[in-house]
Amino acid sequence: MAASGHIELRSVTKRFDQTLAVDDISLTIPYGSYCCLLGPSGCGKTTILRMIAGHETPTAGDIRIGGESVVGLPPVRRGTAMMFQNYALFPHLTVLDNVAFNLKVRGVGKAERHRRAREVLAQVQLDQFADRMPAQLSGGQQQRVALSRALITEPRVLLLDEPLSALDEFLRLQMRGELRRIQRELGITFVHVTHTQLEAIAVADAVVVMEEGRIEQAASAHEIYTLPATAYVARFMGGQNVLAGTVIAVNGGAVTLVDGTGARFATPVTSTAPAKGQEIFCCIRRDRIKVEKLRAPLSSVGEATNVLAGTVHAIEYQGSYVKVTIDVPGREQFVGNLPDHAFLTAPLDIGDAVVARWATEDVHLLTGDSTRTATGVRPLPLEAQRDGVRSR
Amino acid sequence: MTARSSNGRPWTFYALAAFFTLFVLFLYGPMSAIFILSFQGPTGGLTFPMNGVSLHWFKALVVQQRSGDFVGSFSRSIVLAIIVLAITVVISIMAGLAFRYRFRGATAVFYMAIASLIMPGLLLGLGVGLMFQFAHVSPAWFSSALGAQLTWTLPFGLLIMFAVFSRFNRAYEEAARDLGASPWQTLRLVVLPILLPGIIGVALFGFTLSYDEFPRTLIPIGSRNTLPLEIWAMTTDVTSPALYALGTLTTAVSFAVIAVALTSIAVIQRRRARRQRDRTPGPLGDA
Repeated sequence: MAASGHIELRSVTKRFDQTLAVDDISLTIPYGSYCCLLGPSGCGKTTILRMIAGHETPTAGDIRIGGESVVGLPPVRRGTAMMFQNYALFPHLTVLDNVAFNLKVRGVGKAERHRRAREVLAQVQLDQFADRMPAQLSGGQQQRVALSRALITEPRVLLLDEPLSALDEFLRLQMRGELRRIQRELGITFVHVTHTQLEAIAVADAVVVMEEGRIEQAASAHEIYTLPATAYVARFMGGQNVLAGTVIAVNGGAVTLVDGTGARFATPVTSTAPAKGQEIFCCIRRDRIKVEKLRAPLSSVGEATNVLAGTVHAIEYQGSYVKVTIDVPGREQFVGNLPDHAFLTAPLDIGDAVVARWATEDVHLLTGDSTRTATGVRPLPLEAQRDGVRSR
Repeated sequence: MTARSSNGRPWTFYALAAFFTLFVLFLYGPMSAIFILSFQGPTGGLTFPMNGVSLHWFKALVVQQRSGDFVGSFSRSIVLAIIVLAITVVISIMAGLAFRYRFRGATAVFYMAIASLIMPGLLLGLGVGLMFQFAHVSPAWFSSALGAQLTWTLPFGLLIMFAVFSRFNRAYEEAARDLGASPWQTLRLVVLPILLPGIIGVALFGFTLSYDEFPRTLIPIGSRNTLPLEIWAMTTDVTSPALYALGTLTTAVSFAVIAVALTSIAVIQRRRARRQRDRTPGPLGDA
């Protein structure tokens, strides 16, 4: 069994017949970190998890855990344990026998394995349910049984396949905090697959955003959310408005671009500034947008930088902020998340003519390969479509 | 609604109810008549009226007068049915496991297997008899008849196992493997126990199909009859209510077997309480 739960994927590729599920991925997950694989359905995230677990074999490439190659090894020899989607608790065994299953197949005597299983169950406050059948438990209890059953193997790596998807909203929020706490306590590596953006950034140290079998960006949760690498990540994570245009001026730490409608934006640049005439993408966080009713005539707005005029399409109250979706002629919808007090002092209504403004320093230049997204080659993920972002 | 009568039921309700009544009459009427007549008094005949009530004809069966070899044929039928049950269960499970992989020629093998369900049983039995004759092996209930019956029970068992496996979530096997179980442990501790109700169903089919198999068994049976063949022979020879007593007994055996099977399935299901929702993941899991 691997001594450390340090995971390394080296140029891993997986094909199912003609379908390319995972396309030449390299990734390092340090021992003791909480890593989320995030992406829409069919992006290959579950396949990666299953290859780490040993339930799929890579078509090409190497998977190393604790420094040694584990390709071809059975799951127990890898020091991994998996928590399955819908948990896959054995329906014919009691909670106690489910948890004791690993000890049973290892030949541990009945009294001893039941004693140890009870100990593990007590840690998750389920000892009084030891003699129940799995079907008699609630979803949250089943999840804790599944967790106990996996952890009794004393793994170095715990693999979680959509662990919260079978729970209702309230339990989901509670359990994701619980998972994070357990990971800290055990100090082992957690790899958690999810298609929910907020779930990923809430629990993980590192988030890996995937699309079509490739990694779009692997970074800390904060970085993924505030400094997305590509237009895809910016749109998928949902907290950003993506701006596209041609560079018309480069001056020091900022460049100015103009889009198809003639609107002008500025973005700060750091190391390599884009050249004049180049097509670039940048994004502006939704919560850095100021939206107010339009007073001056529209024509004067067109001349200014970092300003867009449009009409309010939708208003959604979110508690601490209000999400305002704006229809802007000739481009994709624009979203501003206004603090609730700001919205309440100057309320808006659907159909109002408004103007959105923001500061250049809040704009972030997207550097990754974003051209494919912009031309609409890749379908947008469901989440982005639901948010009203449309690919042109 | 114009077609509705006064109490609101459409005419089709009455048509179907009448049809169902006829069905019940044809199914249970003759059976009840035979059941009642089997308790005919010692001096009674093959038809109503009842001439007293007695167990005379049941005794007559066992003491083996001219009423055929009841004890011998009955025990042969039971033993044969148990052999057929065992072979059907084992082969069906193995075939069910094998067919989960799309091996080359799987479809052809499957159709070849179930084709025997539509072959005329009598001709198949004739063929088996001829085959044994060519091979100079004398047909017997435990060889030629056994083979002929398996051509009938195995496809049924296979079809049931297909249905059973189609509802089986493979995540259970992966979970067992993930927890360190060997393939054999996975089969013994996880797959078979979860599939047990379906396996009991296959066993029930294997037993009852064999127990009252007639057309395929008729020709390759050899010199010693199974029960259905004995009953058939008796209908031409025996002219006493002993025949009815035999019918009542064999029906009771069938019902007993079914009751045991259904009870055990019910007990297993109750033990597991309400079932988990079985959402079977696709090959990619998140596809």
